Amino acid sequence: MTLELETIKWIPWLPALAAVVGGVCCMRKSMRNLAAPACILSILAGFIITLGVQSKVTVDSPRVFKAFTWIHIENFAVDFSFYVDPLTIIMLTVITGVGTLVAWYASGYMKGDRGYARFFAAVSLFIFAMTILVMADNLFLLYLGWEGVGLCSYLLIGFYYNKPAAVAAAKKAFIVNRIGDLFFALGIFLTYSHFHTVSLAEVLRSAGDLNTNLHAGGQGVFDLGAAPSVVVIPFLLMLGAFGKSAQLPLYMWLPDAMEGPTPVSALIHAATMVTAGVYLIARLLPLFALSPYALPIVAAVGGATALFAATIALCQCDIKRIFAYSTISQLGYMFMGVGAVSTAGPTVSATGAIYHLFTHAFFKALLFLTAGSVMHSLAGQLDLRKMSGLSKKMPITSVLMLIGCLALAGFPFTSGFFSKDLILADVVEMGRSNSPFATLYSVLGIVGVATAFLTAFYTFRLWFRVFTGPEQYEMGSDGHGHEEEGHDAGKAGHEQAHAPKSGETASAAIAVEHHHEPHEVSFVLMNLPLIFLAIGALGAGLWESKFGWIHHGIETSSAFLGYIPKTASDAGEAHDIHFTMQLISGSIAIVGIALAAWFHWLNRPAGERVARAFSGLVKVLNNKYYVDELNDALIVRPLRTLADVLFVFDSLIIDGIVQLVGFLPRALGMSLRPSQQGELQGYGLGMAFGAAFVLIVVLWSLNLVAMH
Amino acid sequence: MNSNTLIPAMILAPFAGALVVALSRESHARAVAAFWALFTFAISLLLAWRFDWHQGGETQFPLSVEWVAAFGLNFSFGIDSISLWLILLTTFLQTLVVFATFASVTQRAKEFYFWLLILQSAMLGTFVATDAVFFYICFEFTLVPLYFLIGIFGSAQRTAAARVFFLYTFTGSMITFAGVLYVAWFNSQPEMAGLYAGAGEWSFDMQTLYLAAHHLTAAQQTWILVAMLAGFAVKLPLFPFHTWQPLTYAEAPTAGTVLLAGVMAKLGSYGMLRLAIPLAPAAALHYAPVIATLAVIGILYTALICWAQKDLKKLVAYSSISHLGFVVLGLFALNTIGVGGSVFYMVSHGLSTGALFLCIGMLHERFQTREMSQMSGLAKVMPVWAFFMVFFSLASVGLPGLNGFVGEFLTLLGAFTAEKVLGPVYAGIAGIGMILAAIYILHMVGKVVWGPLKLPRLADAPAPAAGEPAPKVADLGFREIAVLAPLAVACLALGLAPTPMLRSLEPAVDRLIAPMQEVAAADVSSPAHTTLTQARAAAQAAAPAGNVASETAQ
Repeated sequence: MTLELETIKWIPWLPALAAVVGGVCCMRKSMRNLAAPACILSILAGFIITLGVQSKVTVDSPRVFKAFTWIHIENFAVDFSFYVDPLTIIMLTVITGVGTLVAWYASGYMKGDRGYARFFAAVSLFIFAMTILVMADNLFLLYLGWEGVGLCSYLLIGFYYNKPAAVAAAKKAFIVNRIGDLFFALGIFLTYSHFHTVSLAEVLRSAGDLNTNLHAGGQGVFDLGAAPSVVVIPFLLMLGAFGKSAQLPLYMWLPDAMEGPTPVSALIHAATMVTAGVYLIARLLPLFALSPYALPIVAAVGGATALFAATIALCQCDIKRIFAYSTISQLGYMFMGVGAVSTAGPTVSATGAIYHLFTHAFFKALLFLTAGSVMHSLAGQLDLRKMSGLSKKMPITSVLMLIGCLALAGFPFTSGFFSKDLILADVVEMGRSNSPFATLYSVLGIVGVATAFLTAFYTFRLWFRVFTGPEQYEMGSDGHGHEEEGHDAGKAGHEQAHAPKSGETASAAIAVEHHHEPHEVSFVLMNLPLIFLAIGALGAGLWESKFGWIHHGIETSSAFLGYIPKTASDAGEAHDIHFTMQLISGSIAIVGIALAAWFHWLNRPAGERVARAFSGLVKVLNNKYYVDELNDALIVRPLRTLADVLFVFDSLIIDGIVQLVGFLPRALGMSLRPSQQGELQGYGLGMAFGAAFVLIVVLWSLNLVAMH
Repeated sequence: MNSNTLIPAMILAPFAGALVVALSRESHARAVAAFWALFTFAISLLLAWRFDWHQGGETQFPLSVEWVAAFGLNFSFGIDSISLWLILLTTFLQTLVVFATFASVTQRAKEFYFWLLILQSAMLGTFVATDAVFFYICFEFTLVPLYFLIGIFGSAQRTAAARVFFLYTFTGSMITFAGVLYVAWFNSQPEMAGLYAGAGEWSFDMQTLYLAAHHLTAAQQTWILVAMLAGFAVKLPLFPFHTWQPLTYAEAPTAGTVLLAGVMAKLGSYGMLRLAIPLAPAAALHYAPVIATLAVIGILYTALICWAQKDLKKLVAYSSISHLGFVVLGLFALNTIGVGGSVFYMVSHGLSTGALFLCIGMLHERFQTREMSQMSGLAKVMPVWAFFMVFFSLASVGLPGLNGFVGEFLTLLGAFTAEKVLGPVYAGIAGIGMILAAIYILHMVGKVVWGPLKLPRLADAPAPAAGEPAPKVADLGFREIAVLAPLAVACLALGLAPTPMLRSLEPAVDRLIAPMQEVAAADVSSPAHTTLTQARAAAQAAAPAGNVASETAQ
């Protein structure tokens, strides 16, 4: 099936319409359930359009569709227009594909919640903003999407707004993102003042030309002549990307973001929004190539984040937080991948990063949603230590999560295996090139392999803990993770923990006490969409290695820096590296899984002994290196104190000076005129006329001086 | 109806309305006021309809009535696109404010609406004046109705607030008037005769004074700029002249605060654009970094202070100072993007900050308190109010797609790209205000809208027994929604389609800043060129003929 390419411009507007419908549904209780189908169908329609037009995009050069003029003053013009190339299509496939499945799942998961319509209105709005983000033809519109997804993230993290923790987490996410956004905005300004346009098509063309000129003189020789500040652009933009994609040092918001409903964690905080930073760099690769330091720094930050977050994930006990740290770590991989690109080196496109972005969306969404199912069935319980051996009670969920875990761990021939391997191979290849940063890339290669091992271990620690071993569990207390609204705030808790959800009809509705059994979740509403995700998590890699859809796409998009002529031996060497890395990462994944099986399934006491032996380290990791505490002590509190001090300063000192200045002429007036008038206007007038008189004299004398 | 009489009709309509209110019965006062506010709004719409939008830079509907011929005093009116947008903002807000106060003003309603309508006349007069003295009279006259509105209808410290407000702004603007007088005197000197049209005789016509300013030396211009800013910086207010404002805003009745923040503050920035910059072009250019520095300090300083506030209204009052810093920053970028963005921001700020004050006023009507510690989680009991509160908060933090973003980004971009005037550093540091805005606004929203439900205990209500259901709180009624919804629509419309407004502002802005851009191009910072005219001559000698506009073209 093919559609006219033009139809692609409808993709953002359908969810926008669904958001409006959702908003209307918020007002009437009777219409509440309409919001979900509106949301799902609008995203699904986007998915169908994406698939329908994709064959037309690969052959075409980028196409720009203008909807309307947005901001235009003087020669600064920004349109609401869409830029479509294969990278756009890949991103849209992820967003609408995973989006549809997550919304489908959520229609069951959120059932019975008082904010049902509000939830789907926000999700629709999110899809609108996210599609705008990836389709934007200019940096301003991209920024609109960028902040728009941030807003939806804020609204959805704080969805259970009764919980102070959720409100705080939402606030934190927005503010940390704003820090990155400021740099992003400055990057846009600098781009504009340099290229006199913010249109992607034109900026990319100019940046490409600049690159060609740069490299004409020989590999790696950078001479920007009259435009030295252009090299600052990538550094500003990259800070924006680090904020949105939760990289060091702006990652702290993402683990807290797990306060939101689980489908939101899956969609926004794993599959789509957090990958926007990777997309940004891939999209603007020619701009990033302008500075010889930019991409190596991106790769280094990515590598550091990957390892850092993976170590924290080792010792967390909250299922969703483990996955959150894992997301940060996997995003680190993507940044490594997108940073391992060089016009001067062997790797010329961000294929690895986008490939991993693609597969990660499937398996991480699957992992979050299966975690959601566990949480759903255990009344909100998320603590690893309070559950064990659940595979009998939740067989489908256990298998689905196993598939996700295998892909995340990079088990051979799952999707994660292929994509992670491509990144590692790219990095190692860069390490063997004559790039001035070869050593850095070699170190990053080692970091990548080490992280792969940790990933396999912590992933399966979780799975073995939850689904194997003796069957034990402790039910949670907060109603499937849902804050039940519409009842007395004080009583909200386990009493009504189990309002009907998930379409399980009578039995669930009647079970009011929280001491009920864990159970498998509804098949049609919740497990069926997960099966599609599982197929993607398992098969996307094999499919891609057969058809090379992403490879071809990226090579005709802006995330491609141009061919470097390769000799046959180069190509052969690259193939060797690729094969070696597959071997290494595949075996390391199996070792990691085996170790996890030993410590967390077959011989749990051994695992506990090891943990005790390293109790100091475990404590540090468990407390996430105390970064939140440091952040609070070094930034938040001093700033807040400064605010208080300034307020006092303002009321006492600044206002005091004003009062004093105001008092002087008044005092003078009193001494001159003992017969006090007492009229405030009198003082005011006297004072003002006095001041005016002085000024006129001054100006007049100045004028005399000037005339002579 | 002749179009040229529309402007006087528009100024006189609220004035006439005030007289009718004074003559009508107490119980009819609000209906009469609503009628006249709507009527004035209708006239302003008619004005906008008759306005030739393609000639936004020209003074349209000019009309001059002689007053004191010997001193060149006239009542002269005329509007360009800048004036028109601010007029529309004024009449629009006024109408909503009248409806918003229907429930809250229960006593002395006649007086209240009388002063409110008088205030409108004065504000509109300021925006339409093309004569400096008429401008000044209207500018000053706004103080009188506000003095009474605050002094009679304000909160506990209203008397002190009214006094501080009056004295502070009045003193400032007297100095401004001295500056205007000086330029007029300079223009009337016999030796000026023949240099340009209107020279050598007494005149307060702004266009004539603009031309006179080109012959002022750098030292004279410096003093004039100082004099002008004395009034306008206080009115805006610009850091460090802002201390009258939080008290005044907090103590004024809601209607007063909305008009103070929405329109009155813009009299300050409008004055800067209409008088301070054109009457001291070289000085404005030379001292732009100084003023922009004050603006940037103000943005960050007051944004941080917002965070320390416990009273909702004071928080928004301080945030208003912070936002107006962007307006000044854009003005003194002295390029089309910056100044155009700044004027856009003036209108946009009037809508979103006005709306926030209205939201807080509606809360105050219900709970008689604005203490943030007294309330929490109101989204649960007042979802419609919560929606509007969050919406306008987002507009206020500059979320793209809403109005605040366009103004904020254009002023920053203007400052960023203002070579030789400001530059990236100003934009970068001012941009930190975006982060701080997110901090204090979300702090406020997080405390009041979200969180576990907590309602303030009304003074006269008995303490609820433990376990008793929370008392019912009425969400917004139809009238209140009807007041806020148009503002929300306007915020969204300006956010998504700012172009018509920006394009219409462009010629008017260009006309005002053309001398500055010329000076900047001629690089007049060198002390040898003391007046603009000399600088122009020097530039003309240096550059090939024809690329510098001739003076008569002004």
